[in-house]
Amino acid sequence: MKRILIVDDEPHITRVLKLYLERAGYAVDTAQNGQMALAEILKNEPDALMTDIQMPLMTGRQLCLALEEQLPQRTFPIFVMTSMTDREHREWTQKINNLEFLEKPLSMRAMTRALDKHFGSAKTDGGASHV
Amino acid sequence: MSDNTFQEIDISRYQRWLNRAVGAEAAFMVFDKAGIPLWGKDIPQAIKLGLAIAAAGTDAAGPHRHDLDANKTALYQTLGITNDGQLGWLAVMVDHFGEQDAPVHIDQLTETMDDLAAGISDEYRYKHDLEMMTEELGERYEELHLVYAVDQHFQGQTEQNDKVFQSLLESAAEHLNVDVVAFVKPPKDICLYATSLSKEIANLDLVLVEMRGDLFRFIQSSGETVILNAVDDPRRAYIFTDMSYKVLACPIRSEGKVDSMIVLLNHAHKPDFTNGDRKLAEVLATQLSNLSTTYLLLQSMGEFNQQLAMSLIEAVEAKDPYTRGHSERVHFLSMEIGRAMGLPADELDDLYWGSLLHDVGKIGIPDAVLCKPSRLTPDEYTFIKVHPERSYEILRHIKHLEKAVLGARHHQEMYDGTGYPHGLKGERIPLHGRIIAVSDTYDSITSSRAYRAGRSHETAMKEIERVSGTQLDPGIVEVFMKLAAAEPEWLQRFNIRREKA
Repeated sequence: MKRILIVDDEPHITRVLKLYLERAGYAVDTAQNGQMALAEILKNEPDALMTDIQMPLMTGRQLCLALEEQLPQRTFPIFVMTSMTDREHREWTQKINNLEFLEKPLSMRAMTRALDKHFGSAKTDGGASHV
Repeated sequence: MSDNTFQEIDISRYQRWLNRAVGAEAAFMVFDKAGIPLWGKDIPQAIKLGLAIAAAGTDAAGPHRHDLDANKTALYQTLGITNDGQLGWLAVMVDHFGEQDAPVHIDQLTETMDDLAAGISDEYRYKHDLEMMTEELGERYEELHLVYAVDQHFQGQTEQNDKVFQSLLESAAEHLNVDVVAFVKPPKDICLYATSLSKEIANLDLVLVEMRGDLFRFIQSSGETVILNAVDDPRRAYIFTDMSYKVLACPIRSEGKVDSMIVLLNHAHKPDFTNGDRKLAEVLATQLSNLSTTYLLLQSMGEFNQQLAMSLIEAVEAKDPYTRGHSERVHFLSMEIGRAMGLPADELDDLYWGSLLHDVGKIGIPDAVLCKPSRLTPDEYTFIKVHPERSYEILRHIKHLEKAVLGARHHQEMYDGTGYPHGLKGERIPLHGRIIAVSDTYDSITSSRAYRAGRSHETAMKEIERVSGTQLDPGIVEVFMKLAAAEPEWLQRFNIRREKA
C-alpha cells in the first residue's frame, strides 16, 4: 500500500484528505507543519508528499527547499496545495523537480486522479473509487 | 455500527476501567447490532452469547440476564439506540451469578456497565459524526473546486458565449472524468458538448440526436435529475433504444420551465454515477443556466439597441427618399475599412454605431432644403453644415455612444482643414470621422440623388483618388482602394453601376 504524507496545519483539511485517500486505497500519515514533516520524512520516506504552503514553524515552501537540500536524490513526488487564484506565486517551485500543484479548494477526484496517475499500475488497490 | 468507526475506538481502555471497578480481570465483550463480537471474541461462549442477544432482539436498554450454563451467566445491555436501531451491545460474563460467594458485586457491576455503555456510544457517535462531516466537507470542497474553476473561466472572457460554454464543458468533462458532457437546449436547437473519452464512441452523433429528442422529453416531464446506471433500468425504454451508456441528466430551468439540460455519459465500464456526481452536475447546471440567461439578456439588449438605432435612421431617411439606405451603406463600407485597418474590437464597436448614426442630425434640416433638387443658397447650406453637430447633440445623451459620437460629429471635416463643423485638420480629425468621410464620399457619388442618377464605381474611385490628401486622409484612401480593387462583394450588394471596360 502506498503511503502518503499530508502536511497541513488545518485539521479539517487533513481529515478530509485522509478519509478520501484511505478510501482510494492509500495509507495516510499526517503532520501539522513543515518541521514535523521533515523529521518524519528523514526517518521514513513516504511514497508521496502533499503539503500546504502557509504553516507555522516551517512553511511548505521551506519544507520543499529543505528537502531539495537534504534529499537531493529524492524520488517521491511532492504535491503542493495552493489556491487557484495564487498562480503568480509559483516561480519558486520551478527548480524543484517532481513537483505538481493541486488547486484549493481541493477536488478529491482531482487529487486521487493525480496520485493514481503517478503510481500507475503500481498501486495495490483496484480502481480508485470516488464517493 | 460501522466497523470503520468502531475500529477507531480504543476499547482496551474501557476494559481497564471495568477491571479496576470490579477489582479483577472482567470477561468483557462488545457486540455489534447483529450480535457479532467486536471485543472479547476469545472469551468462551462469546459467539454463542452474541447470537442469543441478537435473537432476543429486545428494545429495552437492560441490563438483561442470560444464563449460558449452570455456572456462567451473562449480563448485557444496549450501547444505545440510533435511527438504524440498536447500536450494539455490551456484556460481562459472571461466574456463579447470584450465589453467596459470587466474586462480583452485581449492583456495582451494572452501574459500571451503564457508564461504559454511555462512554462507548458517545465516543462512537462523535467519531461517526466527525466522519460524516468530513465526508460532507470533502464533497463541498469538490463543489467549490468546480465553482471556482467555472469562475476562472468567466474571468477575462469577453469572447462569444459559445466559446465560454465550450471551454466550460471541456473542463467539466475533464474534472468530472466523464466520457461526454453535453449542454442541450432543443427549443433553440443548441447542442454543445465536450468529451474526455475513456473509449471511443463510434456513433456519438446518433447519441446526441437521441438526447435532444426522447431523453430531453423524459427529463422535461420528470423535472428532476435522472441517473441511469444499470443496463436493464426499465426507464431506459423511454429513452435510449439500444445504448448501454450510463446516463446522468439534469434539467435546467428558465423562468420555472425546463428549457435545457446537462447530460453526462459514461461507458458501461466506468464506475456508476453517484450522488456526488449528481450534486456536481446540478452545480454545473446552475452555472450554465446563469450564463445562458445572461447571454439571452445581452442578446435581447443588443437587439433592442439595434432596433432603436434603425428607428432613428428610419426617421432621417423618411425625410428624403433618395437617401434611403445611405446610412446602412456608409456603415457597411466603414466597417470594411475598419476591419482592413485591423482596429481592435472595442474601436470597431464604436465605429459600428458612429457610422450607422452619422447622419442622424439631418433630422433637424428642413425638408425643403434637404430635398431641394437645385443649387442651395448660402443660407440653406448653413442648415446642411450644422447636421454633424446635430448628430452629436442628439447622440451625446447615450453614454454607450460616447466615443462613437466622435466619428459622426467629424465625418464632414476635410483633411486639409476646410471642412465642418470644426475645421479640424489631418490627424486631429478623429480617426472614425476620417473613415466615415471616405465611405460617405463613395456612397454620395454612387447613389442616386434627387437631381441626378448614381454614378459608376470607377467614377467614384477616380474622384476619391483626386481628393486624397486634400479632402480625405490618404492613408485611409489607400486602404479603401485596396479593398475596391479586389472586386468587393458590395458592388453586387448595393447594385453599383460599372463602367464598361
